[in-house]
Amino acid sequence: MINTTNHHPDENMLIEFSAGTLETAASICVSAHLHFCSRCRTKLLRLDQVGSQIMSQSEPMEVADNAFDQVMEKIDSADLVSSSKTSSATSASTSINTSDEGFPYSVKKLINTSLISKNWKRLSSSVDVARFKTGQEDFEVALHKICAGGKTPKHGHEGLEYTVVLKGSFSDENAVYREGDFLMRQPGDVHQPMGAQNGECICLSALSAPIVPTSPLGFLMKPWLRINPM
Amino acid sequence: MTTLNNSEKRSDQWSQLLISVGETRDRKAFAQLFEHFGPLLKGFAHASRNEGWFPGLGDDLVQEVMIKVWNKAAGYNAEKASATTWIYTVARNCRIDMLRRKSNTQHLPLENEDFWHEPDEETPISLLQQKRSEDRVQASLAQLPKEQDQILRKVYLEGKSHAEASAELGLPLGTVKSRVRLALQKMQVIVSKEAQE
Repeated sequence: MINTTNHHPDENMLIEFSAGTLETAASICVSAHLHFCSRCRTKLLRLDQVGSQIMSQSEPMEVADNAFDQVMEKIDSADLVSSSKTSSATSASTSINTSDEGFPYSVKKLINTSLISKNWKRLSSSVDVARFKTGQEDFEVALHKICAGGKTPKHGHEGLEYTVVLKGSFSDENAVYREGDFLMRQPGDVHQPMGAQNGECICLSALSAPIVPTSPLGFLMKPWLRINPM
Repeated sequence: MTTLNNSEKRSDQWSQLLISVGETRDRKAFAQLFEHFGPLLKGFAHASRNEGWFPGLGDDLVQEVMIKVWNKAAGYNAEKASATTWIYTVARNCRIDMLRRKSNTQHLPLENEDFWHEPDEETPISLLQQKRSEDRVQASLAQLPKEQDQILRKVYLEGKSHAEASAELGLPLGTVKSRVRLALQKMQVIVSKEAQE
């Protein structure tokens, strides 16, 4: 895959991802970015090598005598029923079509298993949202679609927000973000994204930290677009 | 880079065994892998005695990882990673999912291994480069200053986040972050910012 992404997760995020300690909201977005970015995949492979060497130089612990036999037993009994296994991630039909869009595996799986509603929901005249059930209070994950040339209200962020462009592009005061680009917004950052003129833009976003609507319109804007009076 | 000559084949013992398991369901090869990796996996599980840890995790992890190794061996690509690295990634994902299952009642339908679905592609770095960096990692790990060695073990072996490591060691988060990067720069796993520009 040709690498065209310009905005990447920082090194410590990749390190935590490789060690498996990165929080879930960030992990979802890093994983989506990796789908598009061969540069970060190469970095990750090197980091995994570090993890594997540390593991293999660690203190071995004796396993039970019958551990191997137990594993073989499970393998043999699983072989018998494996033909009836089907994947759960293929069936659902939704108006949010991803089959032909080259979306990352984790995002496809989320779309097929965990959308709150199978249709886009209008958030503003130019932005639609589709939220995922996460069963969590400490992060929220959603897809956002900005229509071509769509302008979003200027807004701030109260928690950390991670965004990955899945399709198309958008821009803000600082840069243009294209497919695969990874963005992190700190609490207090204010920006005004605009969809590109030549087509709609779909982004994955994950918000960590508790969501506390503050503006009077917060209940309308939650979680992504919170009009910030500053 | 497209064709591999003989000297570029992955020749380490574990990778050969894993290939045999994948290609011919070779039980003897699998038993050898089990004998080598089982105790390491148990040690790896026991190193993460933090939230969600429970007695029996070690043996459960050994079982779960080795069953996955058996089931996924056919998909192992020796050009992409050594068996040790490949098994590490399986173990890491299993450990996270097991701890998560224990400590959360509700969670996303995503398992940690879903985050590691990479597109099929040509090997991002050549086998020769990989072997060199693997050898370098192995050799340089032993030569790290104590505090850098300690921090890498916290992160990779104990599975501590940077924030948890910072709390445990009584160090500012920024110090933890830079210390981890420094260790990896020394091992030439990542490139220092100055050298990049």
